[in-house]
Amino acid sequence: MSTLGQLVLSGIFIGGIYALMSMGLTLIFGVLRVVNFAHGEFLMLGMYGAWAITRLLDLNPYIAAIAIVPAMLLFGAIVHQLIVRPALDKPHLVVVFATMGLSIFMQNVALMIMTADLWDVPPMFNRSVAIGPFYFKAELLLGFAITIVCTLLLQWVIRATYLGKAIRATVQDGEAAMLMGIPVPRIFLITFAGGSALVGLAACIMMPLFSVFPTVGLNFVLIAFVIVVLGGMGSIEGALLGGICIGVVQSISSYYVAPAYGQMFYFILFLLVMIFRPNGLLGQKGAATIGIND
Amino acid sequence: MTAILTIDNVSHRFGSLWAVRDVSFSVERGELLGLIGPNGAGKSTLYNLIAGVLIPTKGEIFFDGLKVSHWKSHRVARVGIARTFQIPKPYRQLSVVENVMLTAFQHERSVSRARDLAIETLADVGLRDYVDVPVTTLTVGLLKRLEVARALAMRPKLVLFDEIMAGLTPTEVSTMTKFVGGLPARGITVIWVEHVLYAIMKTASRIMVLNRGELIANGEPAAVARDPAVVKAYLGEEMSLA
Amino acid sequence: MSLDVTQQSTGRLALPFLPRRGARVSVLEIFIFIVCLALAIIGLPQTLQDVAVLTFLWAGLALAWNIAGGYAGLISFGHAAFFGIGAYTSTILFVHLGLTPWIGIWCGGALAALFGALLALICARLRGPFFILSTLAAAEVVRIGALNWASLTGGPEGLSIPPVAGMTSMVFASKAAYVAMMLLFLLVVYAITKLLEGSRYGYYLFSVRDDSDAASAAGVNPLTVRTAAMALSAGLTGIGGSLFAQYFLYLDPTFVISPELSFQFGLLAAVGGLGTAIGPVLGSFLITPMSELLRSYLGNQAAGLHLVIYSALLIVVMLYFPGGIAGALTRIVSRKGKL
Repeated sequence: MSTLGQLVLSGIFIGGIYALMSMGLTLIFGVLRVVNFAHGEFLMLGMYGAWAITRLLDLNPYIAAIAIVPAMLLFGAIVHQLIVRPALDKPHLVVVFATMGLSIFMQNVALMIMTADLWDVPPMFNRSVAIGPFYFKAELLLGFAITIVCTLLLQWVIRATYLGKAIRATVQDGEAAMLMGIPVPRIFLITFAGGSALVGLAACIMMPLFSVFPTVGLNFVLIAFVIVVLGGMGSIEGALLGGICIGVVQSISSYYVAPAYGQMFYFILFLLVMIFRPNGLLGQKGAATIGIND
Repeated sequence: MTAILTIDNVSHRFGSLWAVRDVSFSVERGELLGLIGPNGAGKSTLYNLIAGVLIPTKGEIFFDGLKVSHWKSHRVARVGIARTFQIPKPYRQLSVVENVMLTAFQHERSVSRARDLAIETLADVGLRDYVDVPVTTLTVGLLKRLEVARALAMRPKLVLFDEIMAGLTPTEVSTMTKFVGGLPARGITVIWVEHVLYAIMKTASRIMVLNRGELIANGEPAAVARDPAVVKAYLGEEMSLA
Repeated sequence: MSLDVTQQSTGRLALPFLPRRGARVSVLEIFIFIVCLALAIIGLPQTLQDVAVLTFLWAGLALAWNIAGGYAGLISFGHAAFFGIGAYTSTILFVHLGLTPWIGIWCGGALAALFGALLALICARLRGPFFILSTLAAAEVVRIGALNWASLTGGPEGLSIPPVAGMTSMVFASKAAYVAMMLLFLLVVYAITKLLEGSRYGYYLFSVRDDSDAASAAGVNPLTVRTAAMALSAGLTGIGGSLFAQYFLYLDPTFVISPELSFQFGLLAAVGGLGTAIGPVLGSFLITPMSELLRSYLGNQAAGLHLVIYSALLIVVMLYFPGGIAGALTRIVSRKGKL
């Protein structure tokens, strides 16, 4: 039984970290109604950045976040202005193919510059922390803690600030929000850039736990999509809940079932959610069944 | 019975809001029935219920001897109910004539004959000059006329018009009024939701008034216009007592 | 993306210059067909024959993808699953049961079509990105299944067809025969596409793509139309997969059922011009030779470089020429016509 407990708890912790990675995606999805197919590559970029700063300046990924998060904010803003914004008023397929193109572009630039090798950062704390009868890597707990703090901060921004209200309004009805005087194009920019910054932060806390390589984004983006769908488009709490679910499912299934089939589980889970609860566990009704450009 | 459409105690609920409440009426073959009411009265919901977009929470709908309450919209269309959309929904990547051909296909299976029928219908509504034009270049007024053409190309038994006069010039209103008024003679039963009351008063044999989901009047145009309940619905309590 | 707006005919022949929607052929299409036929018959140097085989094959597959993605509006990034199902079915039937691929490809196509219909039914209510993601997920399920069901598919080691030439085994000694086979595939899919787009069913597809509520009101059943389109698209893709297996003689789930391959079908169709028949063909004719030649001259490095170039190209094309090459061609010609 203690094995199960260990699995469940570590699943919860890693799930929280997955959730942080997905929060940017769910916000972008909720506000702009576009799926950024390059989301995984944003994560990859953040991870390479964290790795570089750690290795070259002899620091650690958590401190690297001080540079990476603003850098990703800027990167997100640039991508939004150059690629996403011009695509918004065109048929839906334009933004799909454009972000897909960006994804492939970034993957292959990384391949050419960094090669296909896996890069790691040296472990920061060489110890496990004990919680009751269970042991967890310190980096895992720290990452989870950062996620919780971040979630609470985001919740506060969403509920208590004008920006948060504007975001919620835009999620519910972009046209109405515009009519109410909310500067929707600027909200789009802020959300996209902010979502990218969140991915940058996630990259920094994931670097101690995973290796980085050009296609690392592919692994995680599909997890992120499942989390966004489970949690419901635009919902921060939903992303956290979804992330924890996925973390636990992954943790348990990769122990009891062959790891290869483990991956299959997410996709089947995703498809089941799509069929039976396309609105997610907590999300807006009809999110998946309303056309995005309707 | 000769009624082509019978609405039997139909109610429909969205969440906790009853958009349509205990509505019953029938429409005779060849009638031109006006349907009016303030915004939010439930007219669009009623249309969506008849056209099969929604399934009524309560009550039944009968058309031409068939119970169509639970039928999906494409099935309802195939038995002869056509409708226009209040906000026009053209097929944006097709031309004007191609837009009409889709409904023409109901009766003409070949592409060339469907095209002929479509051109004929477009000429009927005054859009002959726009036949091969991409539909995205049309103004709202023209798009509304396109909606009418699309509905009529289906050679429907019953057509539901939804505010087709918006954006029309006074001359165009007059032409369209005469045109719609002539439809019953062609064997087409018409229900007409319209805010341009002149048109309905002139052509309808009967007017129904919907307010807050309920049918509050159902009779001859002149009588309905004088009905205090109707005046109150449109203008408010004080005006009706004034 | 209607190409109807331009009508330049060549006098005596009364044929339009640019392709128009429907079964009528245009001068441009005839010209391209003659050039391809000439290349296939006259023959090419060895290296170029491989390029020709792939160019024709991917063109046919891009066309097949376009039926779902461009005509029906069902953008799928999971078509590699249909490709793989076709390829593996005919190969397994041949290698394990001795069934000639001439029959096997139809079995593969039918099975792929079935999967396509199933996918469309499952994802019937989904729109936009959710639909796309579901196709991605479904393809990954198929890939992982193929990778792990080693007894059937050979797993990660893959499945080979013995390179012994023979008519019944559909293995040819000369590359030229493969060039001809792929060209035939392309022509058949092209013909199907043209016939479809000019027919009543083609219009049903367009109506469901452009506004499914209006289509319903016109008596069109969006569910049956989407399912049929997906089944046709998947079936043709499956047949292409089988043909690929007969050419390449080796199947491996990581390549054959990959997201990269799915993306490629869409990329070729989008760059060439979604929703037109000539578009996917032009897309493949432009991109595939460049891709293959780059790959052979730059060796391993090209794996990164050529994709960098294509993805950048795709982004630019999507943002500034959403109609692809075909759309741009139409605009240029119609502007010249007005001068």
